[in-house]
Amino acid sequence: MTQSEEQKERSYSSTRRDFLRALLGVGGAAAALASMDRLMANPEAILEAINRATGDQATAVADFPFALDPTDPPDVLLRMQIELHRALQKRPEERRWVMVIDLRKCVGCHACTIACVAENRLPPGVVYRPVLEQEVGTFPNVTRTFLPKPCMQCDNPPCVPVCPVTATYTNEEGVVVVDYDQCIGCRACMTACPYASRTFDFGIQYVDNTPMGNGTLLGQSGVAPMELLPVFEYGRSRERVPHHSPIGNVRKCHFCLHRIKEGMLPACTLTCIGRATLFGDANDPESLVAEMIASPNVMRLKEELGTEPRVYYLV
Amino acid sequence: MTKKILYALGGVALVFGTWGFFDRFVAGHANANYGSYVVWGLWVAMYLFFAGVAAGSFMMSTLDYLFEVPLFKGTGRAMLWAALITLPAALTSIGLDLGHMERIYKVYMRPNFFSVMAQMVWGYTIFGGIILASLVVAIRFPERKKWLKPLMAFGLLFSVFLSGGVGALLGVNASRAYWHVGLLPAQFPVFSLASGAAMMLLIMGWFAPPDTRRSQQIRVLGLLTVSLAVVKLYFLWTDFSQSLYGQIPHNVDAVNQVLFGRYWWAFWIIQIALGTVLPIILLLHPKFARHSVVAGWMGLLVLFGFTAARANIVFPALTVPELEELRWAFSGPHLTFDYFPSLMEWAVTIGITGGATIAFLLGLDRLPIFSSQPREVTQ
Ligand code: SF4
Ligand code: SF4
Repeated sequence: MTQSEEQKERSYSSTRRDFLRALLGVGGAAAALASMDRLMANPEAILEAINRATGDQATAVADFPFALDPTDPPDVLLRMQIELHRALQKRPEERRWVMVIDLRKCVGCHACTIACVAENRLPPGVVYRPVLEQEVGTFPNVTRTFLPKPCMQCDNPPCVPVCPVTATYTNEEGVVVVDYDQCIGCRACMTACPYASRTFDFGIQYVDNTPMGNGTLLGQSGVAPMELLPVFEYGRSRERVPHHSPIGNVRKCHFCLHRIKEGMLPACTLTCIGRATLFGDANDPESLVAEMIASPNVMRLKEELGTEPRVYYLV
Repeated sequence: MTKKILYALGGVALVFGTWGFFDRFVAGHANANYGSYVVWGLWVAMYLFFAGVAAGSFMMSTLDYLFEVPLFKGTGRAMLWAALITLPAALTSIGLDLGHMERIYKVYMRPNFFSVMAQMVWGYTIFGGIILASLVVAIRFPERKKWLKPLMAFGLLFSVFLSGGVGALLGVNASRAYWHVGLLPAQFPVFSLASGAAMMLLIMGWFAPPDTRRSQQIRVLGLLTVSLAVVKLYFLWTDFSQSLYGQIPHNVDAVNQVLFGRYWWAFWIIQIALGTVLPIILLLHPKFARHSVVAGWMGLLVLFGFTAARANIVFPALTVPELEELRWAFSGPHLTFDYFPSLMEWAVTIGITGGATIAFLLGLDRLPIFSSQPREVTQ
């Protein structure tokens, strides 16, 4: 670690400490949150553990936390979780990650959008998974439809060949990724994507131009440190520093590769209250997604373009 | 007098631009109005514009140095100089548009040659070298004129391919129907030639020293400009009529935006009335056809019209949503399909234009661009 990195790390830890102190200082809440005391006592240790778990080195997937009957899981989430662990035993190129979104089950709650924003600490103007809403019909036969739209992870992605520096490419698992350190921010990939799946990080913060609110939980001094917490996209911890990646880069959904690596489902899938978002390895014939994409009511967006999306919709 | 006024205007533009550059470097792209939907804005349009002028100016310089047309003898250096100034203006404009300008070296270190953009970066680098080398030979080693021919021939090829490449940069995007016409890369070299002719009209009309051939030169350049303007109008007609007839919604929306949208005036007033029709009328008018000052104005107007034309190629394809509901799906800064450049973007563009103007004039004043052609001058 260079000196300036160390300094950054130190000042960053102290803002985190301040934040945690502020958090615990609010009224009597501290007393109620007994576990927070432990956090308060040694926040560094916890952060270290987080950093260890999400560091650059691939960590072994932890054992599934509790015993389950794999033939009869009580919830699709648990089934997908088991299948995910099974898929992770294979070599990366043998898996075929796909997402299936059941539009009949989507209630338009936007929880997936928010889960994604929280997971990837997306700044204002950056979105990986908006939910498109449409009102159809005429009164009295009116309904609303909802269409969650992540990156389609096209098997034939128009965004890839246009990149002048090979910063965006399909990784060995078939997920289209962006190498933030290589990307020059030319945005050619954005114009090429037929699904508007990429957004540009303009370096804006939610707290920009808000009052400071020193010493409180509100205002910049309380909230800004949260926004500056590192992101763990692509399995690498990255702080949010002006003019540094991912600021000035193009960003997009990556199927939460960093979570998958740790044996966790993508944040949107886990959060979906309607269980409308399914995720898994389509190369596993036993998997839920393989079952679903074999149904006749499956469709993909703009099929006519030949992009071969890996995101399927059940209609 | 013209020069003095232009120096002053250029200076003011540069001062205004300095503020824009400052903002761009301090706040990054935060204060720009292009966003994640209208991905490319004014700077990309201006890049297309300046790159077209650079390629076109080079094309015009071949009249002197490659084809040795007697009427245009002695005009080559001025056109090479114009190319040498407008190429960096184009690259500055597109460079500032990059999210990480400092990483441009990566296009040389790890290029993806399937990417039109990478091809362009390499192409422009070589083209810039050719322009510079040609100018150096033309100014410093006039006795080695034979070196110029191969340079000019290569440069001409590059100027055609690079202009076409600019068209391909947009045209390869299959999902944007408004751009994805095979003709786009074919049209751009013509646009370049037209901007080169207009630039030459401007230079010959306003800056060239008196010469007995001047009125003849201006007449020929005027006719060239008029013919190319007619060709451009024909291209517009084919593009728009096909789009409207074909009824592909994305295309129809884009064309409607250009013709009747919020910025209809950019098309009808700047691009068509001022940039095309007025120059056609005046350049054909017997009273003005050979008039230097008028010719200069007409060159300027055609170039001005070109800026609107470039914008009308870049923006409309982007202001039509890929999926209509995206308009309301998620809100945030830079997530809108409406686009009008921000003050910072204007400042940067005006600054670049001002800087280029001053650099061009300095060259005319300090370099033997027109001098050392006593034969033509005194003839
Ligand atoms: S949806 Fe867009 S960004 Fe995602 S892989 Fe396809 S073309 Fe690329
Ligand atoms: S913005 Fe980045 S990822 Fe996209 S084409 Fe340009 S360099 Fe490649």
